[in-house]
Amino acid sequence: MTDRELRELCQRYLDAIERRDVDGVAELYAPELTFWVNLTGAESSRAEKLATLREGYALLRRRSYDDRTIDTFETGFLARYSVTAVAHDGRRSSHWACIVAQCKEGRITHVDEYLDSSKFRRPAAGAP
Amino acid sequence: MTDGEIRELCHRFFDAYQDRRSDELAELYAPDCIIWHNVFGRETTGAENLAALPKSYAQQRRRTYDDRTIDTFQGGFVIQYTLHGVQHSGHRGALWICIVGLCKDGKITRIDDYMDSSKFAAWAGARRGEMRDSRDGDRSQA
Repeated sequence: MTDRELRELCQRYLDAIERRDVDGVAELYAPELTFWVNLTGAESSRAEKLATLREGYALLRRRSYDDRTIDTFETGFLARYSVTAVAHDGRRSSHWACIVAQCKEGRITHVDEYLDSSKFRRPAAGAP
Repeated sequence: MTDGEIRELCHRFFDAYQDRRSDELAELYAPDCIIWHNVFGRETTGAENLAALPKSYAQQRRRTYDDRTIDTFQGGFVIQYTLHGVQHSGHRGALWICIVGLCKDGKITRIDDYMDSSKFAAWAGARRGEMRDSRDGDRSQA
């Protein structure tokens, strides 16, 4: 894939996650996709990751992927960004994250995600 | 810089960091080098980083930067690795870290460091209260 194709794939991917378009995300994941995150050190399959996405949307009113810096390499892309989350009670939180993605034939085959979980806002006391 | 030159620079940097060769690290940082961590969200200079190294190294018996996966792009590299640490108590821990390095003329001009600070206590083998004190110390060094 060319530099431009990889950048476009990266933007489409983050845009689809941001607007809660799980079908759109599914189109961009290769069937054999594996997703690894530094919080657990475990790999998820495509189906597991899509299920996690759906469940995650219910926890927040909105999530945006801002200040994206994208670099591409021979087999994929690196995206650095800030995630801004708005909880159902209106409280906002943000953290900085990055993903390193391997891509092939227009789809993402593997993602490594690096987050700082200490930045996640805990639900307010008494929140549902 | 070519792909080969950037990869070599990346390995030299991590080898020097692992072997505690501050003089070589100083050679690899550009004079205007900036270092940023997702944990603290603020930038420090290469000189500040070098000044903090002796105290940082004193916290562990040994640190190794293993399982390095390096990709290069125009102007830099991204490296994913496992940081293994052996504390003075003998406790062993590991952290998964990703670093993005921007490079120019054979030197590193910027580093963005991504890790999960919630893993620090387990990595250090510390109780939670002890880790809070240690993290405060790290923050003052950064």
